[in-house]
Amino acid sequence: MAEVVLQAQRIAKFFGERPVLYGLDLTLRAGQAAVIVGRNGVGKSTLIKILCGLSPPSAGRLWLFGQEPRSMAAQQFRRVGVLLHQSLLYPRLTCRENMEFYSELFAIPDAGAHARRWLERVGLQRAADELVSALSRGMEQRLGIARAMLADPDLILLDEPFAAMDADGVALVSSLVREALAREAAVIFTAHAPLEIAGVDLRMFKLESNGLTPFKDEGRRGSLRNLLRRN
Amino acid sequence: MKNPISIGLAAATCLSMVAALFMVFVYVPTEAEQGIVQRIFYFHLPCAWVAFLGFGIVALAGGLYLWLGHKVWDDLSYAAAELGMLFCTLVLVTGSIWAKPIWGVWWTWDSRLTTTFILWLLYGSYLLLRAFADDTDGIARFAAVLGIVGVLDIPIIIISVRLWRTIHPAVLLTRQGEHGLQDLRMVATLLVSLAAFTIMFVWLLWMRVATLRLRTRIVRLRRTLALRELAEAHR
Amino acid sequence: MLEGFGPILRKDLRLEVRTGESTVVLVSISVLILVVMVLAFGPAGARRAEVAAGALWTALIFAGTMGATRALLSERESGCLRGLLLSPVEPATIYAAKLSVAMIFMAQAGIAVLVVLVLFFNLDFGGALLRLLPVFLLGIVGLAALCTLLATVSGRVRAGAMLLPVMVVPLFAPALIAGSKASAAVLAGQPLGAVITWLKLLGAFDVLFVTAGYLLFEHVIFED
Repeated sequence: MAEVVLQAQRIAKFFGERPVLYGLDLTLRAGQAAVIVGRNGVGKSTLIKILCGLSPPSAGRLWLFGQEPRSMAAQQFRRVGVLLHQSLLYPRLTCRENMEFYSELFAIPDAGAHARRWLERVGLQRAADELVSALSRGMEQRLGIARAMLADPDLILLDEPFAAMDADGVALVSSLVREALAREAAVIFTAHAPLEIAGVDLRMFKLESNGLTPFKDEGRRGSLRNLLRRN
Repeated sequence: MKNPISIGLAAATCLSMVAALFMVFVYVPTEAEQGIVQRIFYFHLPCAWVAFLGFGIVALAGGLYLWLGHKVWDDLSYAAAELGMLFCTLVLVTGSIWAKPIWGVWWTWDSRLTTTFILWLLYGSYLLLRAFADDTDGIARFAAVLGIVGVLDIPIIIISVRLWRTIHPAVLLTRQGEHGLQDLRMVATLLVSLAAFTIMFVWLLWMRVATLRLRTRIVRLRRTLALRELAEAHR
Repeated sequence: MLEGFGPILRKDLRLEVRTGESTVVLVSISVLILVVMVLAFGPAGARRAEVAAGALWTALIFAGTMGATRALLSERESGCLRGLLLSPVEPATIYAAKLSVAMIFMAQAGIAVLVVLVLFFNLDFGGALLRLLPVFLLGIVGLAALCTLLATVSGRVRAGAMLLPVMVVPLFAPALIAGSKASAAVLAGQPLGAVITWLKLLGAFDVLFVTAGYLLFEHVIFED
């Protein structure tokens, strides 16, 4: 079996007294892809923030590459690529400057050439010298995905990567996901409706009223009851 | 709340406080130069001591919270800050009451007064931060950091304020502690009073932490309840 | 150890050169504070070394809290702080970079105040201004260290922008005493040797709070 890249165990998240997520289990191995489907406001973005180690869960445990995020050395984050609900790009820098900055931050040799390659890869070479604040939503999304994938991470988490994308954009993201899987990276992303990517064996999970279930699985109530007993 | 430690502390506080009051008002001889007002000193100094003690606990518990992550350390830190603020205020008030007849002014920028006042401001900013922050886990870490930084600052504050006042020599350098305590009865009274205030501080701290623990438990129970309601909705 | 320091610093300076916002805001605020002080004390008062030193440090404190807030602000837009946290960069390195940016902002404000002080009030401090430099530098290191750490806290709290000076001023009090006393002595024509105690105190303050900030920053930077 391939290396376990991400393991989440009985994760729960509360905002104050309000439960946002609970009883959530997920294991992802190298080379696997998973999509989390759920309606707006069901906690998808919160889940991605937890799974990438940015936001600690209120209960439960999370391991990335076998380590808990807070005990991970900063260098380990080289292996994690994230697109959040926000693009994480500086609005008042140009596309090129943003990509060069993050390439330098990831200590990639020849940051300039690397940034140029990625801008071409996501079809933004002509917008390279425009400020990010001047980009359309779809273009910013492309650049955000390029930022997430820039260091060839082993674990890729994307929050709604297909949002605001035109047909070309959808094809682009699909091919980037395929490439990542081909080099044995693990990919997890969210979507508001079920979807498929040609040539990808996608494990689909449904995030519904705060619980995560594989499609066609009826075991959720049981797991919720277990959680209550533990509390 | 009704546990033996709490009751024991309450009893010890009452006994020692009664003893301290007796000694301050009946037993101890009146100081020759300053007269009756000098007796406030037996409350003033213990207040200053527990105010400093409180600050130490704020930083220590804050550090333990950052290190171990258990909420009880944060509760302890918060409770110590509240009590520290209370006693720091009492230090300033009792000091002023004493200063008016002896020095002729309510306030002077003497080095100890200034230091205490800056400490009081530090406590104030700590409590303001806690009051302004919504009840999140984050605030516990922020408060711990502020508490630690505040305590690190204390030695520098003391040194700088002392230098500041010696460069402009103060007129009023008579310290109540430096004379008048030759009488052993005065020393005994001061020690009993110190003990009484320390025990009272520990008792108040204990009760306040217990209250904060209850608050944490209520949040936890409400969370469980919210989960149960969700489970019902799905049945 | 400081991997990522250079890129963050360069990026922030590039943003600042592009917009100039922080420079304009900080310089005008600190000059305004100076003008307020001078109006309150009268122009004759401003020629006195003590008042001039007091005005300088008052302006610095408020420019400092704003400068640190501005240095962190560029990371708030579009969640860029999260981008930094998800990069292979130690939180302490982010602190070091933000501290440097805040110091640069404060230095600009401080220089602006000095220039106004000298030009508009015909002060003839001569070589005293040069001797003021070490006092001034030691002061802004400590101030920037404190403000950068606490601006991260205040940025997460309701009404935090108002809370920042409330937290910073009492903590900075010893350095304020040392800095303004040393500045006044130097402006009055005394040599640096005469204020060496104050300089040592400022140095101790700087070492203490840069270290504390460096070690504690990781506890305030992460979110919940």
